[in-house]
Amino acid sequence: MWLTLYYIFCYLIFTYTMAMIVTYVIMVCMSKISQKKLEINMPDDNTIKFLLRGSPLTPAVSVIAPAYNEEVVIIDCVNSLLNLDYPDYEVVLVNDESTDRTLEILIEEYKLIEVPYDIAMRVQCKPIKRVMKSTDERYSKLVLVDKVHGGTKADGSNAGINVCSNKYFVCTDVDCIIEPMALYRMMWHVVNSPKPMIGVGATMLMSNGCTVQDGRLVRAEVSNRPLPLFQQLEYMRSFLISKLGWSAINALPNISGGFGLFDTDIAVKSGGYDPSSFAEDVDMLLRMVTYMKNHNLDFKLAMVPEACCWTEGPGTVKQLFRQRTRWARGLFEIVSNHRKLFFNPHYGPIGALTMPYIFIFEFLAPILEMIGFLFMIWLTPTGGVNWRSAIVVFGMIYLFCLFIASVVIYNDYRIKAVNWKSKRMNYFKLMVASVLEPFVYHPFQTVCSNIGYLRFIRNTRAVWTPIQRQGFKKKDQ
Amino acid sequence: MDTIAYLRYYLYYVASYIRFIVSFVASKLEKYPTEVKVAAVIAVLCVFTMFVLFVRMLIMSGYRKSLRLLREHTEETYGDAMRFLLSSEAPDQMSKVEICELFGIDPTVDDEPLKKSKEKKVFAEVFYNLFINEKAENARMSNIHSMLEVFGISEHLEKEVSLGSKRRKVDALNMIRAYGLSISPWIINKLLNSKNLRLQRLAMYTVIVSSSDSTMDYFETEFFDNNSCIKDEIELAYSLNRRRKAGLKLPNLARWAHMHKREFTQCLFVRLMRRFNQVEYCDQLRDLFVPGNKKKLIEEISRTWGYLHYVDGEQLLIDSLLTQPDDTKVAILHALTRFGTGRGLDAMLDGFRHSLNPHVRYEALRCLYNYGDEGRRAFEKLELESSEADAHYFSFFHNPITLAKVRLDREQAYHPSVETVLNG
Repeated sequence: MWLTLYYIFCYLIFTYTMAMIVTYVIMVCMSKISQKKLEINMPDDNTIKFLLRGSPLTPAVSVIAPAYNEEVVIIDCVNSLLNLDYPDYEVVLVNDESTDRTLEILIEEYKLIEVPYDIAMRVQCKPIKRVMKSTDERYSKLVLVDKVHGGTKADGSNAGINVCSNKYFVCTDVDCIIEPMALYRMMWHVVNSPKPMIGVGATMLMSNGCTVQDGRLVRAEVSNRPLPLFQQLEYMRSFLISKLGWSAINALPNISGGFGLFDTDIAVKSGGYDPSSFAEDVDMLLRMVTYMKNHNLDFKLAMVPEACCWTEGPGTVKQLFRQRTRWARGLFEIVSNHRKLFFNPHYGPIGALTMPYIFIFEFLAPILEMIGFLFMIWLTPTGGVNWRSAIVVFGMIYLFCLFIASVVIYNDYRIKAVNWKSKRMNYFKLMVASVLEPFVYHPFQTVCSNIGYLRFIRNTRAVWTPIQRQGFKKKDQ
Repeated sequence: MDTIAYLRYYLYYVASYIRFIVSFVASKLEKYPTEVKVAAVIAVLCVFTMFVLFVRMLIMSGYRKSLRLLREHTEETYGDAMRFLLSSEAPDQMSKVEICELFGIDPTVDDEPLKKSKEKKVFAEVFYNLFINEKAENARMSNIHSMLEVFGISEHLEKEVSLGSKRRKVDALNMIRAYGLSISPWIINKLLNSKNLRLQRLAMYTVIVSSSDSTMDYFETEFFDNNSCIKDEIELAYSLNRRRKAGLKLPNLARWAHMHKREFTQCLFVRLMRRFNQVEYCDQLRDLFVPGNKKKLIEEISRTWGYLHYVDGEQLLIDSLLTQPDDTKVAILHALTRFGTGRGLDAMLDGFRHSLNPHVRYEALRCLYNYGDEGRRAFEKLELESSEADAHYFSFFHNPITLAKVRLDREQAYHPSVETVLNG
């Protein structure tokens, strides 16, 4: 009986692995379809700029950036946001009652004074104390919202949504450096869609190792340190294959909280960000999709790989562990809160394909991996492992990981998503990371995910702690 | 014949070699279970695909490098001459000889300065980038046309449009439209019936720029109605603008607004009327002004009438003000401000007093504030009479930073949504 169970388990795992490989191959093909569509529909930067800059029809955007104790990077961040190349936008910076000098620095640097502002509390957030604007014409785009401490990024973002005055808003983090052309590229998709565009995603990349000057990224490089390097590869895989692939069939499951564009009206009608959620970005997008589908409204979601945003990733194992366990709890929460979407064709491709994929291949994978690993340990002393077969199967999985990394690099090169300082060197570093990842980084992630799930089940209280900022590398350093 | 025989022999050799490798691997894997065989096949496929991707990247890298070098060379050789040609300093109607002189070409020695297609492609790209970046609105198009002929770019673009890949067709059409070049009817007709939406639309916009006919039947199709988006309006506005600059008659946009059923498309043409000052067709919009029917359309018609000073429609707007949805009320209030006849004063006061929406109330005040001396007096009187609960509406008019947004004249007249500091 045990032997039968053993065989069933082994074949189940093998089938699961094969299904995962097939799904990834389909995803690679779908990302290729997306690229082809982009090639036709996305003109070069100069043409986009020429058509949108000269037209009063170009939709205005509000860029919302919540900040809490960000005195190290706040000026770089605000300068980056004020330097964006777009004809009509405002920057809504939300100070979540910082305990350091964030607010004082902002008031001094940008000459801010309190102004009258009638705020309709369209989405739930902690009370807003005051709204400030600059007396200096150069910073007229800046709006500072000073609010009572909410403790989460979602609460700050909601305050920004309440104050913003444009049809579209972009939500970002203060440690993010947005590429100047990013808004143009994202808005091109908005104006180019006959159906209402409710969300546009962009590519998030690690800013660790990059050089920043006056809020602009002047040297794009992959970090030499192992943790940011692995994260860079992981981010690129997620954005240039998975999300790009899902966008081909209008089934994008997530628009990153670090940089994503949303329709303000639909976001408000769906209730905005949930301050109690661990994955507020996925949660809000799924609620927006649910809202549109429940009201039988047509909508579109897009992913623009050419629009890049650079964010500082966790630099230490402790910070990374904290972030990943929080993400795992978020995933568990999404799976349980949005279970009505699973295999539900009423919710379109997101319900029929994306959500089952997330459950089977993202949520279950760490659990199965952990069980498989423990099973191997148990079988090894009993001689129950056929090592020859195990090595061949492991070799296949390993080579498949390398293949996916090569596709990521190929896509990056083809799309010209990032203007790397030295392409050869950076791609070499990414290839080295992909060679080491299955042995070093991936097991760590699996452990983090399982701990996150356990914490969610045990309902352990989680405190949202922002990562310790290192600040950006300046050009003159 | 020899070549074919050699090729056949070579193919046979390659095929037998592949067969040998496959049978060798298969014999080695024979004793293993199915899952190992599958794993081995996937592993081999992964290695093969990685190799293919690597080779493709190498080829792409070489091609991009050659293009970059060619671009640098073109910019270095012809950049200054191109900039001069685009500037307003360039003399009008330059002859081909003068163009050749400007670009340093001797037409007697070199009748075809750019021989390769790649050179022409890069030259066209470099010039187009300068054209759209250097604010070339005042550039003399006749000089540009002569220059494009001297370098054989016109024929090159036409060739690209008929034979190029979809992306190259799009790029070439963009350039043809920007320069207002004429294109063979059989090529453009083929594109107008293309299944690819982007190409079809671009072909339409290209024809608009240079067509002498102002009826443009293709806008009467249901297809345009169902698939139109903001970008279409932007591109249509750009093409119509180029047509106007070329001295050609603009079509009756109110007719197109009537012809379509989808509200978005109707609004699109009404906004374009506003942009191109089609005052003479304003009365044709009266049929579309059916309160309670399409609120966005009513909003756009109100704005258009206001902006184009169609005073005949003022009474209709005043009568329908209080029964309209909030966004439409704002549009009507703005239109009344632009008329400035004095008849809208009571409507503005009603807009403030009888509205519950803070956005509408603020806009009514804003319109009063901008309604000349009479409006300003009414505004001040209203401020004195107002309760404490309404005081915050007036506070916007006393703060120097928010006051800057109060003035209606700073607002873009063509903008579909009114920028406001309040959230409705």
